[in-house]
Amino acid sequence: MPRISPFTLLKFACVLAVAVFVAVLPQIFDSRLDPGSAEFRVGQFTLVGIWFVALLGLNVLTGFNGQISLGHGAFVGLGAYVTALLSLGRPGLELYMLDPPSWLPIGDGMRPVFTIPIAALVTGIIGFLFGFPALRLGGVSLALATLAVAVSFPILMKRFDEVTGGGGGVNLNLPTTPFGWDISTRHWLYYEAWITAGIVLVLAWLLVRGRVGRAFRAIRDGEIAAVSSGVNSALYKTLAFGVSSAFAGAAGALLAIEVAYVNPDTFPVGLSILLLASAVIGGLGSLAGAAFGALLYVFLPIYSQNPPIVSWDFSNQAPAVVFGAVLIAIMLLLPGGVAGGFRRLTGLVRLGLARRRADRSELA
Amino acid sequence: MKKVLLAVVALGAALTVSLPGAFARLEAPKARQADPGVTSRSITIGGTFPFSGPVSSYAPIARGMETYFRFVNARRGPDGKRGVYGRQIIFKTYDDGYNPARTVQLTQQLVLQDKVFAIYGSLGTEPNLAIRPYLNQRKIPQLQIATGASYWGAQHKAFPWTMGWQTDYIAEGRVYGKWILQNRPRARIAIFYQNDDYGKDYLRGVKQGLGSRASSMIASELSYEVTDTSYASQIARQRASGADTWILLTTAGTPTVRALGTGRAVGYRPEQIVINSVAATDQVMAAAARTTGQEYVNGVVSTGYLKNNTNPKYKNDPAIRSFRRIMGKYGPEGGVDIRNTFYYYGVANASEFVRLLYKAGKNPTRASLMAAARNRNWVNPYTLTGMRTLTRKGDAFPLDQGKILRYNNGSFTEISPLYKGR
Repeated sequence: MPRISPFTLLKFACVLAVAVFVAVLPQIFDSRLDPGSAEFRVGQFTLVGIWFVALLGLNVLTGFNGQISLGHGAFVGLGAYVTALLSLGRPGLELYMLDPPSWLPIGDGMRPVFTIPIAALVTGIIGFLFGFPALRLGGVSLALATLAVAVSFPILMKRFDEVTGGGGGVNLNLPTTPFGWDISTRHWLYYEAWITAGIVLVLAWLLVRGRVGRAFRAIRDGEIAAVSSGVNSALYKTLAFGVSSAFAGAAGALLAIEVAYVNPDTFPVGLSILLLASAVIGGLGSLAGAAFGALLYVFLPIYSQNPPIVSWDFSNQAPAVVFGAVLIAIMLLLPGGVAGGFRRLTGLVRLGLARRRADRSELA
Repeated sequence: MKKVLLAVVALGAALTVSLPGAFARLEAPKARQADPGVTSRSITIGGTFPFSGPVSSYAPIARGMETYFRFVNARRGPDGKRGVYGRQIIFKTYDDGYNPARTVQLTQQLVLQDKVFAIYGSLGTEPNLAIRPYLNQRKIPQLQIATGASYWGAQHKAFPWTMGWQTDYIAEGRVYGKWILQNRPRARIAIFYQNDDYGKDYLRGVKQGLGSRASSMIASELSYEVTDTSYASQIARQRASGADTWILLTTAGTPTVRALGTGRAVGYRPEQIVINSVAATDQVMAAAARTTGQEYVNGVVSTGYLKNNTNPKYKNDPAIRSFRRIMGKYGPEGGVDIRNTFYYYGVANASEFVRLLYKAGKNPTRASLMAAARNRNWVNPYTLTGMRTLTRKGDAFPLDQGKILRYNNGSFTEISPLYKGR
């Protein structure tokens, strides 16, 4: 049996421990808080799971493949709209007096949970197609092109208001536990998000540790060198776009189910920018970094916005400022983000241990 | 090494086996409780507002509301007690940046964590659309929301816990239509509207107000997107249509100023410009005048349902004087620009809500608050003289009247009788 380093085992144990913690977190809240607060906290952590999925996608594209995307929020939005349309179905849309063209394969309304893979697939294909023109761009130009996607997304959704409900958007049906399972709706949404996150995490992990991941990183670190080593840069770059948008689409689907309302203002340009900032602060090039980024994205605005009874200062505007300040601090002090910080820490520990082992073997 | 691996696998197996137990739902016994948010000393309410983001210019509305509640908490009411029947009003406001996904989260926070008695004054059509099903499902009042969309009144039967307040956009549009029929019956009309629910509601109202003559009178009907940066092509076409009456159905701020500026630039000089009430505020008109010159915007017509606190006619009006006193004494630190009508709106709206709280009784419940909201028949002193606040079965629009106002050199004067929008 090959020698597995104790650190790899430790990493797996940590992941397992976190998974268990995530699984029992709703129960912990239920037992320690009053029903209202417990429900609220579970809801917050459901959102953490949703943005974790989105950031995993962004990390694959920008962290592992080096393609800057300022348009990730648009793909999240696309997934959300796909879920909205499919779960409402044509009859549901008619109640909004919407009249999508007959060639669109919108059925009669399906269970929201089944729309998640469909949304991921549709968004993934569109992202993959976007990857082709993106091949000609790099660096700042690509960032601008993706920014254009983010800017135009809300406008497109308003333009095709016969399908999307325009500015007013559409309300999805309030979520319910499917299949008559005996679990509260709040818990169901939580597990739906985190099981999806688990699946996406495993997929992302398999991707980055395999040939594809190596190709991604090779392209990121030196495209010309990678191409001269025989890496099909065009294929892998478009693949990265496809995979990352698919993950974003899944996150969007979960968001639509959770919030039960989609409209263009839900996915403004700011979302894409904040997502990139969260990915950077969490740690690009690290799957765990996506988790830190998601925690930051959900909790930072809340804790920097001191809920006021009477307030006439800037506290209501604090989130954006604090986000920016944290981003600058991270860029200066910990360029690898929070995950990078942890890696450095374990690196130091390993170095210390290795030194001790070397000293001991010298003495022996 | 194998031992360690074995131990990890065993641990994992043990946890996997115990996990299904973790899925058992904890059933909390449902005790009969009083409505949340009400104690013997306080009533907690909450709302979401765009303190940041593209429409943060509406933030003074929340400040006006906060100021009025501070006043109520400090003064002695008709029963001699401070607050409402001795209960202090705690008003929690959160910034949703006009993003409905954030509105949903923050409203859930208000409901589940802050345990508010009611959602009050939340601003924005889309944000309120996002939270409406959730609040109605849980039977939580969603009252006096700061949006003129017609949804709230029109769909009150489907969503009985939701009610607006101000004269809605369709009603306002009808007022314009009626006034034009009476005062400019041979007008050729060009309408420039924002391409969303806001603009389309107004448009619908104008056409209903014009009735059967709408199609013959409207020479041009063009729209713009909120994100457009230039209206040159549309406005040039409207000028080419030869319309002598130009109706702008634009949001406050940049869109209105840009439309007027573009009109001036392409040489469009209609006899009469009509601007919807949300946009026709002193600030916006002053900003427009800086671009187009005062002469271009003089004569602009709009509607109002509130007394304008800068109108010299109301200098000694008791409502205006109390507004100035309240803002001066309880307003935000550092003072505010009292001419900003959004503060006045906030105070007017909050005064209505306090009246509803009184009407809900000495021991208010959510149900009694909604019952009060659905049976109003009184005069709100901050609204125009002659306006009646009226709701009853079949009428979920508290305010539905308006007067035509004309703008001239920095102030608005009322030039018409009160029209019924509904």
